Amino acid sequence: MSDSFDLVMHYPWLPLLKDYYGEISEKSPYDFISDFLSKEFKDEIFDRVSEIFKAAFDNLENYSYYKLDHSNVYLYILMKILLYILDNKHITNRIANLYSKINYYDLIEENDYNTFQIFKELNLDIQYSEKEIQYGLKITKDYFIKLETNFRIQILDYLKLENNLRDDYRKLVNMPIKNGYVYIQKRNLMRLIQEYVRNKILEVESEDKSSIKNLRKVLLKIEDFKELYYKIESSWKERKEEIQYFEDTGFIKAENVNIIYPPCMKEILLKAKEGQNLIHIERLVILFFLLALNYPVEEIVKIFSYLPDFDKEKTTYQVNFAKNKEYVPHACETLKSLDLCMAKKYDDPICIDGYYIKKRNEYKKINHPLSYVRRRRFIEKVKADFQNKQNENKDE
Amino acid sequence: MNEISYLKRIFQAYYKQKKHEIPLVNLFNQREFGFIPWDKMVMIRHKHFNESEDFKNYLINNPPKHVYSSGTLYNNPGNPNMNEKGFLGCDFLIDIDVDHFFTPCKNYHDLWYCKDCDKSGKGMPPNKCPKCGKNKFQSISWICQDCLNVAKNEILKLVNDFLIPDFGIEENELKISFSGHRGYHLKIANEKIRTLSSSERREIVDYLTGDNISYDILGLDDLSSDLGLLDQNIGWSQKIIIRIKYLLRNYTNDVLVEILRQEKFGLNTEIIEYILNNKESFLKTLWNVKGLGFKTWHNFLEGIIKEVGAEIDKPVSIDIHRLIRYPGSLHGKTGFKVQQLSLKELEDFNPLDEKNHDIDPIIYFSEDENLKEYKVIEKVIPAIKIKGETFGPYKKDEIITIPHHIAVFLLCKEVVKMI
Repeated sequence: MSDSFDLVMHYPWLPLLKDYYGEISEKSPYDFISDFLSKEFKDEIFDRVSEIFKAAFDNLENYSYYKLDHSNVYLYILMKILLYILDNKHITNRIANLYSKINYYDLIEENDYNTFQIFKELNLDIQYSEKEIQYGLKITKDYFIKLETNFRIQILDYLKLENNLRDDYRKLVNMPIKNGYVYIQKRNLMRLIQEYVRNKILEVESEDKSSIKNLRKVLLKIEDFKELYYKIESSWKERKEEIQYFEDTGFIKAENVNIIYPPCMKEILLKAKEGQNLIHIERLVILFFLLALNYPVEEIVKIFSYLPDFDKEKTTYQVNFAKNKEYVPHACETLKSLDLCMAKKYDDPICIDGYYIKKRNEYKKINHPLSYVRRRRFIEKVKADFQNKQNENKDE
Repeated sequence: MNEISYLKRIFQAYYKQKKHEIPLVNLFNQREFGFIPWDKMVMIRHKHFNESEDFKNYLINNPPKHVYSSGTLYNNPGNPNMNEKGFLGCDFLIDIDVDHFFTPCKNYHDLWYCKDCDKSGKGMPPNKCPKCGKNKFQSISWICQDCLNVAKNEILKLVNDFLIPDFGIEENELKISFSGHRGYHLKIANEKIRTLSSSERREIVDYLTGDNISYDILGLDDLSSDLGLLDQNIGWSQKIIIRIKYLLRNYTNDVLVEILRQEKFGLNTEIIEYILNNKESFLKTLWNVKGLGFKTWHNFLEGIIKEVGAEIDKPVSIDIHRLIRYPGSLHGKTGFKVQQLSLKELEDFNPLDEKNHDIDPIIYFSEDENLKEYKVIEKVIPAIKIKGETFGPYKKDEIITIPHHIAVFLLCKEVVKMI
């Protein structure tokens, strides 16, 4: 058995899957499931898939299901078929989050050779040096640590993997780079692969609802599969009732967020609503913004309740902590530099052109999301007053 | 013949005469072309040419004021609907234009007028008029060798301190051009770079400018250590330290005072004096100098980062649908050629007095005396030094006798008229 074969058994999201398991991975979902049902490990895989979904619904961070055998590949393919026909962004996000984390914990245990091979298989330009290369020193009061690594990844490949994460410490400007390569420690490399795996799972999302419906109809004719599908669906429904609904949040009911909020905040709220895994800075941006608008802690916690890694206790603590610290919400300039400004995407005239102040006969640019809210509220108030006056006149 | 017709005619003559010398950008037929005509300031976009001959004939038949081509490659470059163009990738574009940053010479040659009260001043326009408080200005942006040198040095810094050593870009992938006016363009033609999204490009822009640096992550924050920073830390940390050492070691105190007084450092006289008095101790431990607080250290670092980073027009590099001046075309605000340059040629390049005829952007210069009279129509025209000779300053209604290349420049600037 070759090294590559072992790797793909362990990590079926590798492109190598086609080479070693082309016979099953390229089958139609119906043929795959029909064939799979004849395998002796069928029940075991069904159980393991159910367990993964259950763990994801419970927001678990890890789940040690892994077995290095052919069944791992079947499990991966089956899981993706289920996600496709379940067609539920929240479920897909949760599975993507959990499955990528499971893989991360395995990946960081890999030896250097396998690490190198995984990157090569993903067609990523990585360099390995047997002797560790020093790229810096970390100095503290009592000691210093040499910063060393065996790995370097080509800058553009790094950017492709890192871009969704956007953590400060991963930004290119804060990384050691030289001759076209980023010096990076193995653990951080593997965190990038975790993101790749997450995106690989998210690929199942499709807007082609009729194809999804048709496939679901066909697959649910297979009795055993139907049972598994409904088991997962009912398990989600049970969990769903426990999750506090985003739409229940008082302020969303009280104000028309779609009108009052600037596009940057609407975009983050939309992602949260879809259960996408908000990156760290997105969480901070929306949190500081809502706190500045004096929304109650419990209402803000509800916003985060759809996130795949939601933990009510932790979130409540963090929101309270931020409230006590009175952090200043991010300004437009900062949001632009963080690539979180959505003015162009939403083609928002107030964000793009500013607004006219009649008294001063001049246009004023929006430079802070809170100014946007103030402006929108003012416009809404003027509209409401006008409407009221008209109604009064009618009554008279 | 009015000024526009005249300029249009001489631009046309240039495109006719140099038809075979105008370079062909790579992947020519996958690029969108844009033109600004002489009669109105509108961009005619979404033009596409399969053959270079068609493009050059277009320039001859409709000589435009400005000519652009896209950094972006499309399946259907001529499709007016951006969503249907079929995006294939985009070169990484960098625009360095002295318009976007302060140079000391602007205080001598740039002018502004308040549109409301007519108050005027030198340099870049203020945020608000000091007389009436309004913020609508007319400004005259001029050029001189000093500010063009600043722009050139920024490009050289970008290439020699960032693109080659850090990004590993090959010299032959760098397409550098003098913009024909106040700066330089650089295009990185690299297949892999073409695939980058806007947000990935933003990461590169941050690296080139030093924006969003985390002092904490780079180890520039902790004032409690007694060892100080070392320059072993590859990346920005190293760049900052090298710059600090360079400044403190290579400049006299008098020059250092001038440098540290700049607004970007945000340091007061006492602090500057303190740093200079403790220069040796500062060099030894860098940031752990007693008496230099956290805020001062940050201000100092901010200034150093601005010194080290490149002054680029960020949206140009982030946008993946930008058009950029076409090499070999003429700039309608100066009549100068958009001149392609190799890195070696750039080092000694002097756009206002270039000795190498092959890369001289002032194409209307002639050794023959060909003087004509023109009338000044702008309040004041700052002096301009071209080909070693200074012309101006001039005042409104003055009748001036100037050679052809200066006339073309001033006509393009719309500050004189023919008589």
